[in-house]
Amino acid sequence: MSDHVDGPRSIGDPSIDLTDLFAFTSPEDPSRTVLVANVFPSAGASAMFSNVVNHSIVVRRMTVAGLGEAAKFKPDDKEYRFNCKFTDLQRVANGSKPTQKGTCTFPSGQELTFVVNDERGASTPDGVFRVFAGLRSDPFYLAWLVAILKKFPNLLEHDNVLSIVIDFDTKQVLNPDKGPLFGVIAETSAIPQPRTLIGHEPPRFDWVGRPEQTNMRLNNPAMEGADDVRDLWNQMTPFALAEEFQPIFRKRLLDSLTNWDMRDGKADWPPAALTAVINVYLDDFLLFDVSKPINDTSFFEIEKSTLHGQPYQTGGGRTVNANVIDIMLTWMVNNDREFLQGGATGATKPGSNSFPYLASPNTQIQTAVESVELAASPDKVWALIGDFGAVWEPLVASIITVGTGVGQLRTIETIDGKRIIERLEAIDNSQRSYRYSLISGIQATDYVGTLTVSPKELGSLVKWQVQYWADGQPDILVKTIISTLLKTSLGSLRERFGVTQ
Amino acid sequence: MTETPILETALPLATSGDIAVINLESARGQSWNRFQRYPERPGVAGYIVEQEQMTLQFLSDARALDRLESLIEQLVRTGIEPTQLALIQAQVASTAHRFSEARDYLRAAEDYGRLPSAANRLLLSIDQACGDKLDTLLESRRQIAAESGRLEDLVPLGSLLADLGQFDEADSIYKQAFRSYQDVSPFALAWVCFQLGVLWGELVPEVQSSRAADWYRRAIEYVPSYVKARVHLSEIYLEDQLIGDAEALLLPALASGDPEVDWRLADVMTAQGRASAGKKYLENAARGFEALLDNYLLAFADHGAEFYSGSGNDPGRALELADLNLANRPTLRAFEQTYETAVGAGQLQAASEILTAATLRWGASHAFSFSPLAECGTASMGGSDALLNELKGAKDDNRP
Repeated sequence: MSDHVDGPRSIGDPSIDLTDLFAFTSPEDPSRTVLVANVFPSAGASAMFSNVVNHSIVVRRMTVAGLGEAAKFKPDDKEYRFNCKFTDLQRVANGSKPTQKGTCTFPSGQELTFVVNDERGASTPDGVFRVFAGLRSDPFYLAWLVAILKKFPNLLEHDNVLSIVIDFDTKQVLNPDKGPLFGVIAETSAIPQPRTLIGHEPPRFDWVGRPEQTNMRLNNPAMEGADDVRDLWNQMTPFALAEEFQPIFRKRLLDSLTNWDMRDGKADWPPAALTAVINVYLDDFLLFDVSKPINDTSFFEIEKSTLHGQPYQTGGGRTVNANVIDIMLTWMVNNDREFLQGGATGATKPGSNSFPYLASPNTQIQTAVESVELAASPDKVWALIGDFGAVWEPLVASIITVGTGVGQLRTIETIDGKRIIERLEAIDNSQRSYRYSLISGIQATDYVGTLTVSPKELGSLVKWQVQYWADGQPDILVKTIISTLLKTSLGSLRERFGVTQ
Repeated sequence: MTETPILETALPLATSGDIAVINLESARGQSWNRFQRYPERPGVAGYIVEQEQMTLQFLSDARALDRLESLIEQLVRTGIEPTQLALIQAQVASTAHRFSEARDYLRAAEDYGRLPSAANRLLLSIDQACGDKLDTLLESRRQIAAESGRLEDLVPLGSLLADLGQFDEADSIYKQAFRSYQDVSPFALAWVCFQLGVLWGELVPEVQSSRAADWYRRAIEYVPSYVKARVHLSEIYLEDQLIGDAEALLLPALASGDPEVDWRLADVMTAQGRASAGKKYLENAARGFEALLDNYLLAFADHGAEFYSGSGNDPGRALELADLNLANRPTLRAFEQTYETAVGAGQLQAASEILTAATLRWGASHAFSFSPLAECGTASMGGSDALLNELKGAKDDNRP
């Protein structure tokens, strides 16, 4: 058959897509610095890191090499590189969800292994480094329709990302006595493998310095018909933009920033000032100074002050709660004449002052619970319903099972011809309880049911709980289907065993 | 046919297929949750279509089609921008093989204004699926692939070349797709492997089963949940009497709910002498196919025809489905299937008419010279009696 699916556009792996980079002083301990790199936009509730990708955060010491229209930040050659890699899924014997581990290699060469999604993270024995990696609520918020510069509710509401949080002793790692100003970028690249094609160098997939360099400055959504230069930009080497490509990006930034300047109908940027800003933007890294305060409003202050020919006052950087979009838009559109406040004043959940600083991931798990009290002993009831392959529910026409014990599959044919496939995840006959997951047949994901029979006065209590995410149907519709299934089934037990008087 | 050499060590590395499937499901769930909250937001519905297509393509989750229909119902109620709605309706109709309906939606989208590039890509896909305007299509595909050099443009070109009987070039294009890939999604790479499996196992005049099996195995290495790759590989194992291997391959795919898995498992059970279990799986397969055909007749007509021609053992139903598929997309392969099904059903006059129609539509094409129909066509030159004898012969010795 001809393949008529023309290749889904999302055929790339979203887990290599960097979303944001943060650098700030630890709210828990001012002697420590925190670097955060996020990947996987709209990651959902169960995403994992790619196991073939190097996730790196790279820091270089900086010096201010020019002020005013000659503003320039010069990177040192020495790199402080933090590399994180992740394993394939690690299966566990008891039927729980598989886990993933990560290993972070620090500039000192030390390595630290940790479990993904463990909120406590892991620390090196000397306490210098602490790392967390896993799902978090996306701290970024964008509350504008940027193409038309119209306020809008946060477009990333309830989104999650995969975060890598590295918290370390500033003095021991960065030696700020040699200079407290640093630039940081994050990148994802292929882990070099012996199996790669000859002449096929492990590619850099993505990198990020300041927020929105690609999506708003290089690819201004209001500039229809302009070539998309983002892929080209992502192939550039951070801290060392190739000479031959500079004219392309310089021209694009000029066109784009001019467009941004005129979004409110007023020209606020003199040509010389614009040229100076472009020079700063071409050196794309997030600046932070570990000797000065970094707060929610200090983002980009180092660059601005330097462009104004003044010494900077803050540590710049970027905190988890920084309103970077409004700060940036205000700067680009009206040169800080009047603050542009978008349609939201914060992300879905604010960051916290304690490790790992980013809020817990957003979940919307639904629960349906039904129970019935019966005038029969728990053992008698369990003898009927404790068999995963038993046909006792009125809506079930037949069940075919494959395998035995944990992992057993049952294929349920309902009386109206539907087919539901479920997997036994755990069973405890002594506690008269089993847990199962849905494989297919109901429009829900992460569907886990637990059926338990416990003693209740002279009889027994049967409790049936199902947790799930509605999948492709409104929650209420799925909930109705599941509740009906539970109620009808437990109702039939009432008829069979009688109810406690 | 010669295969362009590609060292096994040269296959690109990708994210573990298990992780990628979890991530696809996770992102898909997130897209749906976002859509339920903000159905009118631009782009959300488009993401859902892509993610559901991938779920259907790789995990054989036919519920993806239900979800896509539900998406359309909900979109219509939200009053989304008409061009966007028409484009998504076209994508969903095309996914369900309702190609004529998809074209209508695209025409409607055009009435609202300039078609986005995604619509033009979809039109090319529909033409390819229906065997329409293949010469101009080939030109467009070549141009697009040359401009982008990307896997997602090279694979459809390879697939089209295979349809046109240019097998060596198709093979070479698929290999180029590997080399061009600069990402780590296992789905993309598994897709190329699967296409190479189909090329060497089904499309070339002299199939090379072991080579096809190698490619299917690689597809499964990339994405262990790739149901269609498991089914295709199990067919080769069954032919080679590797019954245990076929069973091991199919059991993990049973949970997908794809009736083809039940069908092949029925064949496994029968080969193992487990008649009762075989019968159960066959009944499940028939029920599964009918359920799919009830809801998505055109999407599964060709698969249903194949099932009923084989173990499903209902030649009449098979012909009915093959005819439907042929009417929906008169490709050379659809003609071949319908012809073979007609012969299997003893409908020799119908077979003769199909052969005539196939010759009229495809006889001048390069691909036709490789088709089993060409041989029957030659026989038909000797008159209708000779043709009927040929058809009877084909039926008797399981040709064409």
